[in-house]
Amino acid sequence: MDMVLEADRLGKRYGSTWALRDCSLHVPAGRIAALVGPNGAGKSTLLHLAVGLLKPDAGAVRVFGRSPYGDTEGLADIGFVAQDTPLYRDFTAAELVIAGGRLNRRWDAALARTRLAQLGIPPDRPVGKLSGGQRAQVALALALAKQPRLLLLDEPVASLDPLARPEFLQSLMGSVADSGTTVLLSSHLLADLERVCDYLIVLNAAQVQLAGAVDDLVAGHRQLIGPRHDGGAIGGVAAVVRASHTDRQSTLLVQTDGPITDPAWTVREVSLEDVVLAHLADGATQTSHSEWGVPA
Amino acid sequence: MIWLTWRQHRKQAFFTLLGFAVLAALMVPIGLSMRHSFADLGLAECVRKLNDTNAAAATRDGCDAAFHRFTNRYGSLNLVAVLLLTLPMLVGLFWGAPLVAREVEHGTHRFVWTQGVGRTRWALVKFGLVGAAVVVLAVGYGLGMSWWVDPLTQAAQEGRLGLIVFDLQGVVPIGYTLFAVALGIFAGTVWKRMLPAMGITLAGFIGVRAAVEILARPHYQPARTLTFPIEGAGEPQTERGGWILAQGVRNPDGTMVAEDTRIQCPPGGKGPEGRVCGAELGIEPGAYNWQLYQPADRFWLFQGIETGVFVALALILLYLAVRRVRRIA
Repeated sequence: MDMVLEADRLGKRYGSTWALRDCSLHVPAGRIAALVGPNGAGKSTLLHLAVGLLKPDAGAVRVFGRSPYGDTEGLADIGFVAQDTPLYRDFTAAELVIAGGRLNRRWDAALARTRLAQLGIPPDRPVGKLSGGQRAQVALALALAKQPRLLLLDEPVASLDPLARPEFLQSLMGSVADSGTTVLLSSHLLADLERVCDYLIVLNAAQVQLAGAVDDLVAGHRQLIGPRHDGGAIGGVAAVVRASHTDRQSTLLVQTDGPITDPAWTVREVSLEDVVLAHLADGATQTSHSEWGVPA
Repeated sequence: MIWLTWRQHRKQAFFTLLGFAVLAALMVPIGLSMRHSFADLGLAECVRKLNDTNAAAATRDGCDAAFHRFTNRYGSLNLVAVLLLTLPMLVGLFWGAPLVAREVEHGTHRFVWTQGVGRTRWALVKFGLVGAAVVVLAVGYGLGMSWWVDPLTQAAQEGRLGLIVFDLQGVVPIGYTLFAVALGIFAGTVWKRMLPAMGITLAGFIGVRAAVEILARPHYQPARTLTFPIEGAGEPQTERGGWILAQGVRNPDGTMVAEDTRIQCPPGGKGPEGRVCGAELGIEPGAYNWQLYQPADRFWLFQGIETGVFVALALILLYLAVRRVRRIA
């Protein structure tokens, strides 16, 4: 399988704090990958490393086999929309399309104009005066006009109202479906991306908690309900992700590596959200407890 | 890239030019009237005559009176000249400091640096174009001010090498403006916020300018000394337009008796109670006036050195700024 993006023990540090640490993951070609994690988990840092805005402090990241930092030629294949869709606010949408043409060797201005026309975005109004949703569409149109093979979107729907979110994602899917563009988009809410993504990366506290194809992740996890569990091995369970206990009963969310045949356990299928929440729950909160001077 | 730079800064460029036009509209009539008075009072003739060190005493007195009248009328314009000194700094504040800081503050660097143009090229084109525009402005300013301030400097005993007028005219404004802009750009790459970058530019520019002016400029060339006797008829034979760095009265053995002063007595003149002229200061017979100065004909040499210093500083700052741009995310 072709890998579009590969990270190998990738790390980035701001001062003494690691924003991203020991991050190893890969995104296969043609996927719509969701990068999910709470605020401050390192999502933006990972995307900035992938687009060459940041230089890794440890490990390596490769996009189409090239190291993106300082690689101007490689930038032609990557479309990037940063968080809050920063654009020159006094430029009109039409001027931004011209600017993109001047800044890129490969540039499909007609595609951008057609898209913006279909979305009813006025060409002669400064983009600073457009609504957040319209501005996000302008930024997306500019990224698509590069005809990128990889599209990186940092919190693309965060600034949109809940009604506009599915609409935005739908229009995004419509435009990448034919071209086979790989998409990596981040959000702190899985619910936003659940319907469009087929690959998932969960980041928490600067580290990768979970990565894989959505189908495999859902198929590879089960909820078990049974008598109070003392931590012993269960046949078919690779790892217990999360456990909660009452006096007599235990509820476990487990990663499976085979069929669970033990009749003591009731086995239930799980949703993607259950899996993600279970993996996010064991994030590190130790440091903040010590910083606040309270017992963990 | 050139189109983008022009589109981004055209409004700012328009207002800068407008500001300069308004300034010119104010300064040109003043300059013209100053030149008329200069001619009417016959000062051009005086300057020519006084440059001849053997000018007659009568000519000197007449000319001095005329110079006084001129200075009385236009002397207050020296304040205007001081205010105009701030122009290169303002260009640095409003053109230099926001150049990178504004992009980072608005997040647009993440847009423009992820297009197909590398950020080193982005920086070089942007710094280059803004630098070139600023040089054109500075040349206009330098030439205009040379024309405007010329009558004022000629009327003053201290000529074009004088502390404020030297900084206003000729080619030094190019050095100052480039330095101010480069300092602004560099500050913007370090602090990445417009207001702190502007503050640093302000403080840095004033600090460096003052340091060079006070510590370095007097030593661009070894200063010359001039000595002349205490007793003599009329004005001493000092050179007009020289930049006097230090003066005083020295005893024959060279010790300084009175600093920052000079003594002038008519031949055979006596002080109170019939003592020798200046005896109350403790001077011995044979004491003389002493002056350390830079002669007026070094004006262009000094302009060249000063411009070189600031252009070199500007280039270093721009190089560091380009390096820093590569590390901003």
